[in-house]
Amino acid sequence: MSTSILTTKIFIPPPGPKAIFRPRLTKQLSDGLHHKLTLISASAGCGKTTLLSEWIVSCHRPVAWLSLDEEHNEPTRFLMYFISSLQAINADVGVGVLNTLQSPQPPSIDSILTMLLNDISTMMKSFVFVLDDYHIIDAKPVDHILNFLIKHLPVHMHLVMATREDPPIPLARLRAKGQLTELRAPDLCFTSSEAAEFLNQVMSLNLSPEDINALEVRTEGWVAGLQLAAISLQGRKDIDSFINDFTGSHRFVLDYLLEEVLHQQSKNVTTFLLRTSILDRFCTSLCEALLSDFVINEQETLTYLESINLFLIPLDDKRQWYRYHHLFADVLRARSKEVLSHQLVELHRRASLWFAENGLSSDAIKHAFAAKDFELAAGLIEGEWPAIHRGFLQSHTFLGWVKSLPDEFIRVRPVLSTGYAWELLNIGELEAAEEKLKDAENWLNKPQKNSNEMVVEDEEEFQSLPATIAIARAYLAQALGNITDTIKHASQALSLLAVSDHISRGPASALLGLAYWSKGELEPAYKYLAEGMASLQKAGNMVFAISGTFGLADIRIMQGRLLEAISLYKETLKRVKDYGEPVLQGTAELYLGLSELYREQDDLSASIQHLEKSEQLGEQAGLPNWPYRFRLGQARLKQTLGEFDRALELLDEAEQFYYRGPLPDLQTVAGLKARLWIRQGNLNKVISWIESENLTLKDRPAVLKEFNQITLVRTYIAQYKAQFKNDQHDHTMQDVQQFIQQLLIAAKEGERAGSLIELFILQALCLQAQDEPSHAIESLQQALMLAEPESYIRIFVDEGSDMFDLLSLAESKGITPIYVRKLLCAFDSDVQENRQTIVSSVANIPNDPLSKRELKVLQLIAQGLSNREIGERLFLALDTIKGHNRRIFSKLQAKNRTEAIARAKSLDIL
Amino acid sequence: MSNTATQKVDLKPRVYRIRIQGHLSHQWKIWFDGVSIVLEDDGNTVLTSETNDQALLYGLLKKVRDLGLPLISVNCVDADHKVKPI
Repeated sequence: MSTSILTTKIFIPPPGPKAIFRPRLTKQLSDGLHHKLTLISASAGCGKTTLLSEWIVSCHRPVAWLSLDEEHNEPTRFLMYFISSLQAINADVGVGVLNTLQSPQPPSIDSILTMLLNDISTMMKSFVFVLDDYHIIDAKPVDHILNFLIKHLPVHMHLVMATREDPPIPLARLRAKGQLTELRAPDLCFTSSEAAEFLNQVMSLNLSPEDINALEVRTEGWVAGLQLAAISLQGRKDIDSFINDFTGSHRFVLDYLLEEVLHQQSKNVTTFLLRTSILDRFCTSLCEALLSDFVINEQETLTYLESINLFLIPLDDKRQWYRYHHLFADVLRARSKEVLSHQLVELHRRASLWFAENGLSSDAIKHAFAAKDFELAAGLIEGEWPAIHRGFLQSHTFLGWVKSLPDEFIRVRPVLSTGYAWELLNIGELEAAEEKLKDAENWLNKPQKNSNEMVVEDEEEFQSLPATIAIARAYLAQALGNITDTIKHASQALSLLAVSDHISRGPASALLGLAYWSKGELEPAYKYLAEGMASLQKAGNMVFAISGTFGLADIRIMQGRLLEAISLYKETLKRVKDYGEPVLQGTAELYLGLSELYREQDDLSASIQHLEKSEQLGEQAGLPNWPYRFRLGQARLKQTLGEFDRALELLDEAEQFYYRGPLPDLQTVAGLKARLWIRQGNLNKVISWIESENLTLKDRPAVLKEFNQITLVRTYIAQYKAQFKNDQHDHTMQDVQQFIQQLLIAAKEGERAGSLIELFILQALCLQAQDEPSHAIESLQQALMLAEPESYIRIFVDEGSDMFDLLSLAESKGITPIYVRKLLCAFDSDVQENRQTIVSSVANIPNDPLSKRELKVLQLIAQGLSNREIGERLFLALDTIKGHNRRIFSKLQAKNRTEAIARAKSLDIL
Repeated sequence: MSNTATQKVDLKPRVYRIRIQGHLSHQWKIWFDGVSIVLEDDGNTVLTSETNDQALLYGLLKKVRDLGLPLISVNCVDADHKVKPI
């Protein structure tokens, strides 16, 4: 897939021609293979990399190597390189992981790591993984990856880290467990015998023991120091005076020796070293570009530098790319800043042009900035923007570049301005994004485009700019809640875009759908959202295609079409299963959505099961909003199970995870809490919430406020029931009835059958509370007719005992009898018992008159006493009362209290 | 309030002295941009930076680390030049 892996980073540096064999250290490294981790932590120039190169030759295990670099601070880049290194020893490892990593919306890092570790554990052979220069990593996410790897390291993988500073891993714990081998600066410094062997045998200097000792003391065994000393001693006659001067000097070892070394080189070689020091890596052709005004044979010079051991490190087998030892490069650079000061800008510019020509854009941009050539940089950056969509460039890298450009270089470029705006929108910097869009639009709106002022690098992008800007505008308007503008811009974008431009049509359609949704126009909302999802699926963005399902199902639920919502989820789940591993992000939401629907249909075991499945997947296959939505789902289920306190706790937790997503928030945490408080009879809390939300019965019905407006209605009904009836409250109830009526009209207009059912239920409960049972039944009947085909259950049952009574009454009137019976059976047994329903067999009805005791019980029932209260009044056990009830109902051929009273009245018994 | 008090302290640049072993040559002036370099008689070098920017300070220490310069001490010096070891 991506070609942007630099193989030079995963190349194992070979031991140099003049390296010293250090068995005391390589043995430690080999012994360390029994442990999990080897840490080589020592300052620059201690010979960490060299030691590893030597050891690898003789360690008898396959080795994967990664030389870390600034860009690996980005976790995705780090993992891409990590996998590429592994593939150098086993090409089959991590292929799927690499693809996943480069997909438009990859899953969480932890799930990727789990996949990767699974892959690694299938590798048969033991191997070593070397992370060189870990001190360059200064990013928590990458440290997290490292810790995760160490914690779960497969037994056949041994990790070696070389670094200038201790990495943020639990070293003490690893040490205590004996899982760590450490080599530190004192271990790496040359011992006297190593110094002697290096100077006299490897470098053939024939120094006296005194001289060797003097050098060792002066450099403190520092490998880089001794190496430089050896190079400057080569070919010298006045060894004694050199050593005297060197040991007598206070100067920093490196400064002193480098000067000596450079002093001995020809002017050509010195110039070569200073000029090429500005490069992180170089090849002959690049060196030629930097030395074009100079007569020198670059290839020969490179060969020469390698032969004298001058810190030149090959980066590939073919000896095409090289770099300087980091420490040596730093010292050279400091020097070249002084010596070449005025030429540096030009050198960076040449480097930038060379990298650009050779398609290495990041390096080109880096050197353009170093050359302070913003014009050049701006052009290169503009050309790189489309790479973000192809997954070759990280959005934040792009933003980092653009933000380093002075404003005037961006403003004249409409394509770059638009690209900048898009990336700003993605990170939520709306105002800044709008400003950049305006800059771009200014150029497009000019009647005659003045080519002298406007700069366009990417002509193709420029042509499609009107559509690109329209989508950005629609996105911006949606984020700001400006529905009219969203519709305007999204429609405009769709009219400008080619039918085949799925990748752009997808977001435009989806935005249009969301805008219609916010307006309450559910059918167009559904249509455009579905179209957007289809386009994005065609463009290969599976994650969006999945996450959109949640929106589509929510629309269907608002429309009271539960069965369609269920099949939507099921179809998408099937597609997810066909897709296979890794589980796509958004899958956790699918189970969550199904759980909620099964809860409504009172299939509580399926609901719990799906909620658990969602929890299992949430970490790795949840969208960013999952932690919030999951707790909401849990709270709803707990509410249904009657665990109100737990439900409230979950809602408190949910609040901490909330952030504004693209879908409209139909139910807020505060609104759900208010409903729980109503159920708990905690009306004071609800009332202060209502005040804070400024909700009144005079408000106009609004789709996005509907949930809270219905909550307001519920509050008034609860308040009415809790207090003694008087005229004043009756007056309020008239307002409530009127408000319900208005909400009903609005819901009917918007074809929101889901809301209609709830509103009819409330209307019925309201009328029942006001002693108007026949009207109440009429409203209930409306709700039942809408709800029956979709198998709603909890929407009735969660209303509690008043609804039980109403349904009992409906049953006696023969309204949708099968459905009503099903609903009645769904009530908790305590509600059923309290309300004296006996699901009796209708057979054997003796035509007996009621006994005296039975009559007394019936009179108390008619007074509205509960079984317990009747028991207390008559000094009888609860079971005895229940027995009486059974006989009363049987004799009166009634199924419940309400019916029994009605029949007794009609028979003049009461 | 205590809040404003801490802000006041932060606004005043602190003087940091980084002492390293060995004499640095003048070429490092550009490398250690904005830092004064003083060579001491005992063979050490003192880098002095006046800043209240912690990121800058850490960047400076990283440069010292990357050159393999043996670090002897880091001191924060008050405005009245009392040396506070850190």
